[in-house]
Amino acid sequence: MQDSPRNLRVKDVALPLDRCPVLAPNAFFKTALEAMGRSRLGIVCVVDADGMLRGIVTDGDIRRQLLKMQKPFSAFFGDDVIEHAIPHPTTVGPDMPLLDAVNLMEEKQVWDLPVVDADGKLVGLLHLHPIVKLLVSQQD
Amino acid sequence: MDMKTITVGYGDVTKVQIGPGLPLAFLGGPCAIESRDHAFKMAEAIAEITQRVGVPWIYKSCYDKDCRSSPDSFHGLGMDEGLQILADVRKEFGVPVVSDFSDPSWGPATGEVCDLVQIPAYLCRQTSILRAAALTGRPVHIKKGQFMSPWNMKNSVRKLESFGCHDIMLADRGTFLGYNMLVNDMTSFPIMARTGYPVCFDATHSIQMPTSMGDISGGQREFIPYLVRAAVACGINALFMETHDDPDNALSDANTVLDIKYLENVLRQAKIMHQARLDILAEFGEDNIHPNG
Repeated sequence: MQDSPRNLRVKDVALPLDRCPVLAPNAFFKTALEAMGRSRLGIVCVVDADGMLRGIVTDGDIRRQLLKMQKPFSAFFGDDVIEHAIPHPTTVGPDMPLLDAVNLMEEKQVWDLPVVDADGKLVGLLHLHPIVKLLVSQQD
Repeated sequence: MDMKTITVGYGDVTKVQIGPGLPLAFLGGPCAIESRDHAFKMAEAIAEITQRVGVPWIYKSCYDKDCRSSPDSFHGLGMDEGLQILADVRKEFGVPVVSDFSDPSWGPATGEVCDLVQIPAYLCRQTSILRAAALTGRPVHIKKGQFMSPWNMKNSVRKLESFGCHDIMLADRGTFLGYNMLVNDMTSFPIMARTGYPVCFDATHSIQMPTSMGDISGGQREFIPYLVRAAVACGINALFMETHDDPDNALSDANTVLDIKYLENVLRQAKIMHQARLDILAEFGEDNIHPNG
């Protein structure tokens, strides 16, 4: 029998690091779009050489940029990804109760939350779909 | 962003530092090394002018002009003789020297003599020559190809970095506007500076009209001072100008080199404009208008 959702922690549902789209700060911005497409996630985590989370780029951020940005696509695609990343994003810890994290997603109106350890290193990604899938399966 | 300062000069020459907040550096000399006597004559004249103006100077002259329009045009003295003259100028005047090179196999010898090695604009994407430049261990001056966007120069910078070179300067020498015509996009300087490396304006090639005269290039040298003032105001760290004591009879780039009789005037203007820009930034802060308003 599966644990009740009340007993679950973020780490029980989060995508492991190797499933997260992760880029170095100086990666070309174009690669963020490619990474999102490959992972079928609307987020890319920007991580430095020490594994510390430096920011995130979401598809919403890109949509908003496209409406404001006036420079050519060729220049946009060639920018360092960190230039368009949201610094200091909302994150969760691996041991946070899952329901608290879901409430945080609702509060922030986001589908994804990077999971970082106590040092700020990225360790995974909490994505809404697996959570929904889990909760639905528990209704069956 | 942290902007890098590069230091040009090894051994006993007067080292030239190029970077943010530093005096505007000058790269200048005759386009091609025409003869030992002429190289020394030009070096002596430019040394006096740069000393009077108070501008850090790197002597520029090339031993092999591999991109001339015509096979009949002067190609240069060749690597052995040319580099020996550069080495002697360097020793006599205590000035760092720069030459471009157009073949990867010329890299080691060029780096052996030159304090700064230069990548010609037409070759700025060529991996083999970028590798050869990086392997010299000298700082690298890379000119933006006339066909390149300033933001795409990041690819060439990344190539140089991947080969271990982290002392780089990028130059704008004009961008093709259709055929036989160049224009300067002054936004290229802040854009290329975002690589973190110093930027340079090549004034005398910017006014070139490439191969506009059938088998040679023309030029509108009357626009040099206008463009120099604009580029300095846009934040360049170094100014590149080829100069000659007898432009009409120069063996290379006769229609674009600056007559040396004007050099002091233009350098003084550039120096004043450079200081004015630094004063403006000190008073009003770094330019920080966000692209999204």
